[in-house]
Amino acid sequence: MSASNCLRCLVRPSAVTLAPRQILQAGAGAAGAGAAGATRTFTATASPNNQMSANRPQKLRFRKVKKKGITPQGKPPLPGERKAYRKKIVLSNNNALPVAGLETLRPNDLSKQKNVGTVMALPEDVVDALRATEAFKPTQCWGIFRQPSVLVRQETVDLIKKMDGAAADGKTLRLVVEGNRISGKSLMLLQAMTHAFMNDWVVLHIPEAQELTTACTEYSPLENSPLWSQPVYTLKLLQAFKKANEKVLSRMNTVYSHADLPQIIPINSPLIQLINSAKEADGAWAVFQALWRELNAENAGRPSILFTLDGLAHIMKMSDYRNPAFELIHSHDLALVKVFTDCLSGAHKMPNGGAVLAATTRGNSPRSASMELAIAQREAEAAKEEVIPQRDPYGKKYDDRVEAVMKSVEVLRLKGVSKAEARGLLEYWAASGALKKRVDEELVSEKWTLSGNGVVGEMERATLLTMKG
Amino acid sequence: MPARLGLSAAFRSLSIRTNQLPQQQSIAAAAAAVVQARTYITDSTSSSSRTTPPRVQVQQQQQRTQPYSTNPPTESTTNNDAGVEPPVEVTPENAAALAQLSEIAYGVKTANVSLEGHKYGLPTLPLPSELHHKYRYSEVVNHATKLLMKDGKLSKAQRDMAMILNYLRSSPPPKLNPARPLIPGHPPASHLPLNPVEYLTVAIDSVAPLIKLHGFKGLAGGGRSLEVPKPIPARQRRSTAFKWILDVVNKKPSKGSGRTMFAHRVAEEIVAVVEGRSSVWDKRLLVHKQGTANRANLNSPALLMRGQRK
Repeated sequence: MSASNCLRCLVRPSAVTLAPRQILQAGAGAAGAGAAGATRTFTATASPNNQMSANRPQKLRFRKVKKKGITPQGKPPLPGERKAYRKKIVLSNNNALPVAGLETLRPNDLSKQKNVGTVMALPEDVVDALRATEAFKPTQCWGIFRQPSVLVRQETVDLIKKMDGAAADGKTLRLVVEGNRISGKSLMLLQAMTHAFMNDWVVLHIPEAQELTTACTEYSPLENSPLWSQPVYTLKLLQAFKKANEKVLSRMNTVYSHADLPQIIPINSPLIQLINSAKEADGAWAVFQALWRELNAENAGRPSILFTLDGLAHIMKMSDYRNPAFELIHSHDLALVKVFTDCLSGAHKMPNGGAVLAATTRGNSPRSASMELAIAQREAEAAKEEVIPQRDPYGKKYDDRVEAVMKSVEVLRLKGVSKAEARGLLEYWAASGALKKRVDEELVSEKWTLSGNGVVGEMERATLLTMKG
Repeated sequence: MPARLGLSAAFRSLSIRTNQLPQQQSIAAAAAAVVQARTYITDSTSSSSRTTPPRVQVQQQQQRTQPYSTNPPTESTTNNDAGVEPPVEVTPENAAALAQLSEIAYGVKTANVSLEGHKYGLPTLPLPSELHHKYRYSEVVNHATKLLMKDGKLSKAQRDMAMILNYLRSSPPPKLNPARPLIPGHPPASHLPLNPVEYLTVAIDSVAPLIKLHGFKGLAGGGRSLEVPKPIPARQRRSTAFKWILDVVNKKPSKGSGRTMFAHRVAEEIVAVVEGRSSVWDKRLLVHKQGTANRANLNSPALLMRGQRK
């Protein structure tokens, strides 16, 4: 019975009432018109509304089974607490073995050829300064070792020598650090900063360029200028700058009078006082401009400047900010970014010499066709190749402003470390107790090969971030 | 820079050499050039010294103070045949190969077939289990990783496990609770962070239950099931223990966000287990109590009859 019904009306047998369909229809058409007794009595007593519902097949209910949620225990984390936990940086591990013979870096150590392939510890005051500038990143494996230490690579020595040479001549080294993922680009910046801190340079570091252009910090238009300032970020940057460079800044006094500042800073007052005058985000940009002018003062005995930025691709594109006409703002129209790009392009000359370093990033980086093209062109020019890469004639994503900025920069391409450097690194890991194997030629060769010919991050993955313990 | 040159490699390089024999002095100089310039911490244990012939080794040690020296030592020149010109092109590899061949020819060293011709020698058999790609990790770590895995994403689970081990490595030594004794024969607490794999193993094995309760449906009468304690094998004990740990972890609210969040919660629970703070210990105690209470069921007539029927 139910089978025939089912085939006719394509309703599940369970959904159909027990009474045959024909009888139901009869009962619905004329109440008590000589059908089965049971149906008749039912229709007689039921209201018309109920009648209809009784005639319809039973409604299937697919109720969602409610999952038992996790009952929150205690108070929820405060705003920003979870992010702080994520960004927490641990720089030492008391369980790790102290490495015998580990030398602490001295001011000239990073430029000495004989130190290539050795691991050297960062001095404590430099560690504090680097921490203030956010040069350490949470993805790096500092927390496994007893003391933050770095491997001196051949590229490090080359870069530091270039920096020193430029500073001695009163010129500016303008350089882009490029390389594959986890090949040590951010650490190269860290080493450059270490050298600068040890040699009493002034260091200004933008740790994540994406914080400037992904519209996650406030912005406001500048008066009489097409540029946009980012007051909150500028204030944060000023404070980090002050904390990191306190030792050098405490020796410097102002040489200009800054009439446009809300607070009167007389000539020959400490530079720290100028920075301290930025109490709120509103005045931060004016103070930053004043500070930048002071740092670039000629014949005032100012130290060399190291200006670094990590994540170059983020400032080589349109930003996510919009102007009142709801058009996207170019990253180079952001005032803080413009200070950096002017230095990188050479439009602004640092009178006291120094270096402008930018590192590209390969994780979470936007494509910037012009930046990639410019890097390829600069590399081809440096290698004196006959064919210089040109724009794809059908490409539409090129950006003239970006190419103008990167017209005359140098490029430092990072590749894997050599086997001798890999050996120094592995011996340090073994001496710290993180690698429980005999370091011999075979192991060095194995790890070096496994890590794509010595890519440092891959070596770290294959050795420290494994389940071997 | 070759670690050592094999017999076959020596013959290969000889075949392309000129017909002149190199002098003793150039051999010594080349052997010295093979020596690495820098001295490392682990130089004494390097694999290359294992199979180097003794005489060459002595020469190497003499030369160690002035590596890369091209001037031959004066004492070795006394053996030279006068009038034989040194070959024009003697590469260090070629010379080292010839030195080895001469060792064999003079009977100083016998040619070992199992070692010759391999850059790093042959491994000793049987291979340790870590050289097999399926058994490269510790048994417990491998097992726990598979239990951590969600949606078949093994490499994510492996990354989590690596982060768990690194957390254990950098956490302070646990304060053991005498009321919750760990598995007998465990290392002292101060040694645990130095060996995170052992830390994890001790934690899991200590809370692992010895038994489980097997419910025989309907045997207790009135449709109730008869709970009978049953000893379980080691792997199942570990499974149960780690699943209990994961249950607790999944109920905990997360402190932070990002990739280390889950791994750190698991690691914190493992530390809590070792310190005796975890609620997993109560679960273990409960199972053991129930097992003790239901011991009598092992002799239940219904169960015995069931066994006879089979």
